[in-house]
Amino acid sequence: MINEDRVILMTKMASYEEHEAKENMAIGRYFRSDYIAIQVLKAVISVTIAFAVIFAIFLFYDFEKYMQDIYEMDILSFAKNILKYYIVAVVVYAGICYGVCTYRYIKARKSLKLYYQNLKKLDKMYTE
Amino acid sequence: MTELLEIRDRIKGIFASYEVFILPVVKFLLGLVCFGMLNSKLGYMTRINNIAVVLILALLCSFLPPVGMVLLAALISLLHLYALSLEAAIIGFAVYLVMFLLFFRFAPKDSVAVILTPITCALGLPCIVPISAGLLGGPSSAVSVGCGVMVYILLHGITQSAPTINGMEDSEATAKVRLVVDSLLGNKQMIVMIAAFAITVIVAYLVRRMAIDYSWTIAIIAGALVDIIILLVGDLMYDTNISFLSIIISSLLGALIGKLVEFFRFGLDYNRTEKVQFEDDEYYYYVKAVPKLSVVGGEKTVKRINTAKSRKRTRYEDDYYDRGRGTYVGRYEEDDEYYDDAYEDDEY
Repeated sequence: MINEDRVILMTKMASYEEHEAKENMAIGRYFRSDYIAIQVLKAVISVTIAFAVIFAIFLFYDFEKYMQDIYEMDILSFAKNILKYYIVAVVVYAGICYGVCTYRYIKARKSLKLYYQNLKKLDKMYTE
Repeated sequence: MTELLEIRDRIKGIFASYEVFILPVVKFLLGLVCFGMLNSKLGYMTRINNIAVVLILALLCSFLPPVGMVLLAALISLLHLYALSLEAAIIGFAVYLVMFLLFFRFAPKDSVAVILTPITCALGLPCIVPISAGLLGGPSSAVSVGCGVMVYILLHGITQSAPTINGMEDSEATAKVRLVVDSLLGNKQMIVMIAAFAITVIVAYLVRRMAIDYSWTIAIIAGALVDIIILLVGDLMYDTNISFLSIIISSLLGALIGKLVEFFRFGLDYNRTEKVQFEDDEYYYYVKAVPKLSVVGGEKTVKRINTAKSRKRTRYEDDYYDRGRGTYVGRYEEDDEYYDDAYEDDEY
């Protein structure tokens, strides 16, 4: 005979496996600190590339002016200013990324915990 | 209302049965609109500005995930910008790259919002997407909608500056870059629209998650009002030249679509709300259960023409042998009544 409860549970779990499980399992493989560290590192690399692109456009925007003033301008203080903006950008973006990743990790672990509970429940249904 | 619910269930049933065919068709149509609009608004590269290319790309999109459509749309727009001027293409590429690196990684699943926002903005109905994005997505949808606005403003700005860019010499590369960057960064409309849409998405999301009656309806109304107010105040403060009529009409349309989304996705009957209270060893539970709006489908009745006695039965597993009668007896159901049906099996 078909066990309706078992079929319902299996359908729900199959749907979960199809949609969210892959992503959540990929997150759940890591320890919390490892996952967040990797994501923050990726964020730092991303923000560095983005900053470089924006800086290049910024330079090209006033290219003629910089070429005229290059011997008169204080390059060290200019570099310090750019570095300051870069650090602010990295800190702000990494901070946002830290918050988002922590939230995602907690959510994924909770969801996986429920999934494993359902697996146990299903196993119990078969042994009964 | 019952008829509407029946129609809803029928539509849901059709969608569930033919999802494999309906989804590719919807993606194909979305691709057709997206690439068609890109070609009609930009259209600088004549080689890709024809219906055959649009059809092939739309067909490709019907099999690809939504993010594939975003990438193809980005590629097509960059090719058009390249045909206009190399500098415009470089700035376009830089903006897409920054968006991809900084923003899109937070909301990779909301590709449809990134596609739909520029389309609705180009149609003059900018406020349609944010309310639905808040209802169906999460706070991260604000990022997708914001990216969509940025793409629209970038392409719109370049289209406006195109005659000037065309008139410039090749040696005036810096001037071209300045023109394109100014059209993007100096655009107050973009900042006001991004702020309005992001706040609308977040308000709609937060309100619909609240444990109050009619939360989705309140979220839709609150989202529409917030959108209208921020856009109008922004227009007064920064003179953004956003049409008042288009804000009102698109907000009303957005609210209407939001109601449709609610009807298909949520639909609760608050009149039959039940509040129960119970306890276990550790907690007291105050539970509010709101039943879903549903309708029981009309039961199909099958009228049997042959009588019970004349029916030819075959043996089922639950049939049993009645020693008193000397025959097999099975049970069958007719008009909500159960009957014992004695019969002789062919084999026994």
